[in-house]
Amino acid sequence: MKTLWRHHRWWLTPTLLIMPAAILFSVVILASSVESLWISLHEWDGFGPMRWIGLDNYRELFNDPQFYVSLKNNVIWLVMFMLAPPLGLAIALLVNQKIRGMRFLKSLFFIPLVLASVAVGVVFSWVYTPQFGLLAIIFRFFGATAPAVLSDEHFVTFAVVTAALWPQTAFCMVLYLAGLNNLSEDLIGAGRVDGAKGWNMLRHIVLPQLTQVTFIAIAVTVVGALRSFDIISVMTSGGPFGSSSVLAYQMFEQSIFSYRFGYGAAIASVLFVIMAVFIVWYLSRIIRAEERGA
Amino acid sequence: MTFKWIDQAATRRTFLKAAGGVSVAAVTGFSMPALAQSAEVTVISNENNATALEVLRRIGADFEKQSGTKVVINNMDHEAHKTAIRNYLVAGAPDICFWFSGNRMKAFVNRGLFDDISDLFEKEKYKDVLGTTTAAVTVDGKQYGLPTGGTMWGMFYRKDVFDEHGLTVPTNWDEFLAYGQKSKEAGLTPVAIGTKELWPAAGWFDQMNLRINGLDKHFALMNGEMAYTDATLKPVFDHWEELIKQGFFTPDHTSFGWQEAGAFLAQKKAGMMNLGAFVKYAFPEQDVGQLTFAPFPKIEGIDRYEEFSVNSVHIPANAKNKAGAREFLAFLYQPENLSAYLEPAGNVPPRHDLPPSKDPLVNAAVESLKTVAGSSQYYDRDTDPDMAQAGLTGFQEFMAKPERRDAILQRLEGTRRRIFKI
Repeated sequence: MKTLWRHHRWWLTPTLLIMPAAILFSVVILASSVESLWISLHEWDGFGPMRWIGLDNYRELFNDPQFYVSLKNNVIWLVMFMLAPPLGLAIALLVNQKIRGMRFLKSLFFIPLVLASVAVGVVFSWVYTPQFGLLAIIFRFFGATAPAVLSDEHFVTFAVVTAALWPQTAFCMVLYLAGLNNLSEDLIGAGRVDGAKGWNMLRHIVLPQLTQVTFIAIAVTVVGALRSFDIISVMTSGGPFGSSSVLAYQMFEQSIFSYRFGYGAAIASVLFVIMAVFIVWYLSRIIRAEERGA
Repeated sequence: MTFKWIDQAATRRTFLKAAGGVSVAAVTGFSMPALAQSAEVTVISNENNATALEVLRRIGADFEKQSGTKVVINNMDHEAHKTAIRNYLVAGAPDICFWFSGNRMKAFVNRGLFDDISDLFEKEKYKDVLGTTTAAVTVDGKQYGLPTGGTMWGMFYRKDVFDEHGLTVPTNWDEFLAYGQKSKEAGLTPVAIGTKELWPAAGWFDQMNLRINGLDKHFALMNGEMAYTDATLKPVFDHWEELIKQGFFTPDHTSFGWQEAGAFLAQKKAGMMNLGAFVKYAFPEQDVGQLTFAPFPKIEGIDRYEEFSVNSVHIPANAKNKAGAREFLAFLYQPENLSAYLEPAGNVPPRHDLPPSKDPLVNAAVESLKTVAGSSQYYDRDTDPDMAQAGLTGFQEFMAKPERRDAILQRLEGTRRRIFKI
């Protein structure tokens, strides 16, 4: 027994250690992805018999105007969410100074991260309420009438993303604050000797040291944008008339409200492909970075 | 199952019994212990009203005292229950569950998930006290549930607001238009509506279609037998568009839920609102007395059909204790128990032989129902759920962008063809 272990432990130990994660990953992620793909080839209401219809769900999806609205909104989410890392960096630089009371200011910026996104959604829908919301009051102060942003099919997605940006920016700020604490004092000192100040200092000395943090911040933000769902559900339920829906919400709506699990699974599969593109890019970056480091 | 353990843990003995049962199950490998299950009735309810839930629990306790059968009531959030029921009917059914009659019940009956309780109807002679409401729980001549509380849909207004501005209740289309003009002059929104949750717009469609085309054609549409592009629907949308163009409805209504729209009515900013009697929850206690019911104004000279949606209670086909469930249902359905349960939420009782309610709105609905030639339930209860989702969104869009009428109706027609396989 002992010799058996001794002979094989070079591969047994890592295998045993990886096992729990591998099992969990294959059951929760891989198996369910494959099953979703399988379901997407059927017509299924969630409890009755499944009926094979091949690619019909996908054919319908690519002719569904709602699909393109959702896809466009996903793109808006992605692009607007890219504001979170630079905003987070700016706030991090601001609150990273050693001034009295900064700690308090820091915690104020940190608060949205503690709130559940459902709470953020509810608060913002109050802000946006026509006639008596905070936005309406501010507009009235300047003698203007605030648009009913959540009722306007062109503004609504921007309004929802703005709400979601609030906690996302706080998250990026926290990442950058951690990064700023790890800056090399030597490099900054050397830069100062060479006369680097202000923008030059930031651009050539500080930012290069934050590349890894930026990479993580962008990755987290992209994932956050693509899986946006809860805040949409709370603020608009995809409305008015589907104009603020995203793929994740449309999938939920089709499966749960319309009892179309096959069609919902087809939407999920498309979303999966979009995510996979990003994941491949992300993994290749990581692998390259590790090779460079090794 | 989790709910059940929480309830049972209330006494130490049952907890020990349960724990013992679990360990026995673990040892012997049985999935669930038989834990005196024959003397237990489990109920899953979807009661939002705390007082009504309390009454239901009290009725359960009374039944337990009388029969010795334990009643376990697990209450779920109303909305969450709508999705959970599909799981538990298949995977782990209680002995009794609450649901909605009509088409939504039929969906489960067709899949064999609800028990036929015609025998209970026969034994307790429910048909005599229910009258036409029996139809709401009947599929192919068999009964699959008991109707509980009903909601009568119609127009609601504040008596004091009408008196103050000299408004009168419109009974036909011309009067309705005149009412709109007058209430706008008085600085009121003629009709409060919030379409954020989609369904109020569909309710408005139902009312107009029932007034213009009548019940048979309405049901042809609900059953997918009539096209959304059919010419008979044109006057419905013409009339509706007229109201929208004249500014009858709350501006930016897609931003508001029904509660917020109800608040406009309560705050005297709007004249009327189309809803069920539950609109009173948007009113402060002292103002509820002002709330008055009026039927939707007449449009065409046809019989009066109203929207009356009925909730119901069922025995799942996979229930373990069907005999006990029948006994409990009969107990719950006794006039004094049923009226006690229905009273807090202001629901219209299905039985004729209940004492008059203390709620004038309920009595108004009961009176109004007596002169009705027939009733539908509600758009999203009468048609296929998939169709309903598309229709609700379409009607909301029409109310916000009436100029898109043709595109919307084309889209709905495409959905109808897909769902009803035409």
